[in-house]
Amino acid sequence: MIDSGIDRRDFLKVLGWSGAAVALSGCGNTSVEDGKETVVSYVEANDYMIPGIGVYYNSTCAQCDAGCSINGRVREGRVLKLEGNPDSGINKGKLCGLGQAGVQHHYNPDRVREPILRNGNKGETITWDKAYALIAEKLTGVKGEEIAFLSGGVSGHLKALLGNYLESIGTKNHFVYEALAPVGVRAANLKSYGVALPRYRLDKAKVVLSFGADFLGSWISPVHFSQQYAQFRKGMDGQRGVLIQVESKMSLTGANADRWLVVKPGTEGVLALGIINALGTTSGEIAELVKPYDHAHVTKETGVSASQIDKIAALLKLRSPSLILAGSAVEGYAHGAQNAAAINLLNHVLGNVGKTIEAPSNVPFPQLAPIVGSTASLKSLNDGLVAGQYKVLFNFAANPVFTAPGAFKFKDNMAKVGFKVAFAHYMDETAMQADLVLPLDSALEDWGTQVPEYLADGMQLNIQQPLMEKLHANTRSMGDILLTLLKQRRADEYKNFEDYYAYLRGSLLQNKGALGAGGSDDDNFWNEALTRGVLKISSSSATLADKAATSGLQLPKAETADAKFPMHFIPGVTASLRDGRHANQPWLQESPDPLTTIVWDSWVEIHPKKALELGIVDGDVVEVTSKSGSIKAQAYLFPGIHPDAVSVPLGRGHEAMGRYAKGYGVNPFGILDAIFDKETGELALHETRVSIKKTGARVLIVKDEGAAGGMQMGRRIALRKTTDQVDLSEEV
Amino acid sequence: MYRFLRLPILLVGLFMAVSSYAANDPQPTLTTEDSLGPEIQQPIEFPHNRHAGLRNPNDPTNSDPLKGGMEIDCQYCHTYARRSAVAGIPPLQKCIGCHQNIESVRNKPRIVELFKYWDAKKPVPWKKVHDLPDFVRFNHERHIKRFVEQQNRPTQEACGYCHGDVKSMTVARRQKTLSMGWCASCHEKAHPVTAAGGTPVGDQAYWYSFQKPAAKPDASGVVKAQGPNDCWQCHK
Repeated sequence: MIDSGIDRRDFLKVLGWSGAAVALSGCGNTSVEDGKETVVSYVEANDYMIPGIGVYYNSTCAQCDAGCSINGRVREGRVLKLEGNPDSGINKGKLCGLGQAGVQHHYNPDRVREPILRNGNKGETITWDKAYALIAEKLTGVKGEEIAFLSGGVSGHLKALLGNYLESIGTKNHFVYEALAPVGVRAANLKSYGVALPRYRLDKAKVVLSFGADFLGSWISPVHFSQQYAQFRKGMDGQRGVLIQVESKMSLTGANADRWLVVKPGTEGVLALGIINALGTTSGEIAELVKPYDHAHVTKETGVSASQIDKIAALLKLRSPSLILAGSAVEGYAHGAQNAAAINLLNHVLGNVGKTIEAPSNVPFPQLAPIVGSTASLKSLNDGLVAGQYKVLFNFAANPVFTAPGAFKFKDNMAKVGFKVAFAHYMDETAMQADLVLPLDSALEDWGTQVPEYLADGMQLNIQQPLMEKLHANTRSMGDILLTLLKQRRADEYKNFEDYYAYLRGSLLQNKGALGAGGSDDDNFWNEALTRGVLKISSSSATLADKAATSGLQLPKAETADAKFPMHFIPGVTASLRDGRHANQPWLQESPDPLTTIVWDSWVEIHPKKALELGIVDGDVVEVTSKSGSIKAQAYLFPGIHPDAVSVPLGRGHEAMGRYAKGYGVNPFGILDAIFDKETGELALHETRVSIKKTGARVLIVKDEGAAGGMQMGRRIALRKTTDQVDLSEEV
Repeated sequence: MYRFLRLPILLVGLFMAVSSYAANDPQPTLTTEDSLGPEIQQPIEFPHNRHAGLRNPNDPTNSDPLKGGMEIDCQYCHTYARRSAVAGIPPLQKCIGCHQNIESVRNKPRIVELFKYWDAKKPVPWKKVHDLPDFVRFNHERHIKRFVEQQNRPTQEACGYCHGDVKSMTVARRQKTLSMGWCASCHEKAHPVTAAGGTPVGDQAYWYSFQKPAAKPDASGVVKAQGPNDCWQCHK
């Protein structure tokens, strides 16, 4: 009746009048609601528990592997806010956005709450006793080599327990998988510096030349590097540090650089050798190696102009020490480790090793040292699955069904295993394929110890302790589960440990001398450790080598573009979503990407020139097709990318994992080809080639950026100059 | 045909519906000084009069406390009020701490009920009697500090400004509107900002006021100020 009679203007009139009517009637005093809510007191309260007043506990952040220490505010028995623990040398009281979102991991409504056993296509809830008995039953009569255990990177006492359990069931098949691990950089560093990860000292450098290392966003230990970066920018002797970032797709660090140089994907090493050539300070085998990399050759390969190379070389000569970083963007190629080695060579030539590249601490307890993951490890598991080698598969802290490259067909291969156990916080893609899902305590409910791979500030053992009581009665700590499983096998050995807490406390007290508290009272030592949240341990430094490592260093010639798949595909690593394990934390989905300001969705970054060529405008839904699959997402015209490349951020596109992750965006892991680094066997993340096609659909991009989008709205806040016009010496 | 009538009819109808709804809303008006809240059913009918009430004047030694009160200070149980923004509810432990030693009432139905909760280690699900909306942050601590600690007023009087004469109630019942206008009715009264009046002198007095303290002393020679001056003091 009124469907056609009222237009927008009339509707607003009605709304206005009814609003006025409400106001006139004196509504708005309605504030006090008595007798509706329940107010619950403590049954027994300690003196320090005062309603409304927070207490603070230290623990360790579990959102990434950097190992930042956290300080949680707990009020009325609920953890409300996480901040950094000032006692930790890694993050020194600071915490990134990813870490802040840790409370949403804990309170996530989609956590698994009961052990679930597969019954056809459905899951049914079972008791823990039954679950443990089932594991024991499924392992009987199965040979050790028929069992595989897949996990993310682990360290500390959990690693020790896990190792013991694997030994007790007689298997050596422990596959450690991290989708975004710096494998190529580790290999190159071992050759150049003799250690996998030296301590990088940005704060001591006067120039930082970073090849694709997003150290402010997602690389290795971003909170630590950000603090070093602040120091670097303040400078020494009145000289502000200069940052030059070389990459094919702009990262957060690239956006902060004084000079951002775009290179053809995969030619970062060529540019590094070109700079060594331009420095002209070398002799012998290095001079021999860089001889072919003259200006003409390097410019042709990389797209970086000769004058730009000369400017960088001049700057590096002028200011010392400098620091050259090889980051995650250079290692994602079939020659990734070689690329990184060529860049490391620059540090050797400039004499930075020992100055801005320092020796890391040794881990005095090898049994607690981290085992680091790689996709190469997942590949060997996948090969075994294809061969039908395994009858039982355990999965912990990894989600390979989501993060394995599409070419692996991991989901299909996993189905060949007879009995699959997933230890999980959420029903993620891998847990959905499992036969038995065992619910884990959240990181804020759990006990543990951790030794980070990158020891930013000397050896430290991070303590993880519960910040509050468990939210769900039937979740268990991974440590407790392993202990129970171990008791099935070695009851005598572990009978003295009632639970994981007892195990942890016992073994720390046993070694308190080595932990720097010899002679002190047990309880004092333990309470002190829990209060501080981190144990700083004096330890020797590893030996740093300063090797040229030129032998075998060979960069491939430029290849001709594939006509069918002409574009490079760069999976984007964002500071908040990383490999997608936290995509179900709505704060992270909601916080705009720092460069594009897009929220809650995936996008395809295309250079405006390329877009013009293909007739693509902002918001066009484009199909990105590789040999292994295709995805469709909205196009975003982005000047910070090489015209021959497109990029889609990782982390979104979940098919499971709860209401905040499922169905948002697309998953670029799914279209990655199985191409590997020739040296390390690691997946070459950036080696996939794709083609782009318009689908005809167009959407409105949901982003914070205004219509004028970085155009400065005519205010000329910053001068716009092309890279060729910039004189780097002006910035010194 | 009557299309032009549709909108006016709709407007009048909506106006009447909304206003009649709003007018019937059983809300206290701003001007009422005392406004009784609803009676609230509690899981245990806690007798405030027995605990906080005055002693039986005919029985100076208080030999039969059941006939009079115990004159227990409010802060003995509501111990958080002076330490925190929220007053909280005393932990169950507090009740038991005394009652396990009071044999005479041990078998009374309410006490039996209380011990049932204690044995099960479950808190009593009390209903909130004074429930401010979440956008209002009333600070108990500041009021206790000012009235009880600085000005040495009796606790029952200070608490009573907002909670009424609790010592005469069994289950507590809201006595005041607790609306913003009602808060302002106190905070708009001018208070002396001299040390003599007990109000902190100097800059701090500024924060007790809706406005800045008067620039000059009034006729009696005292500088006066009013309640908190900043929206953010309560709405944060």
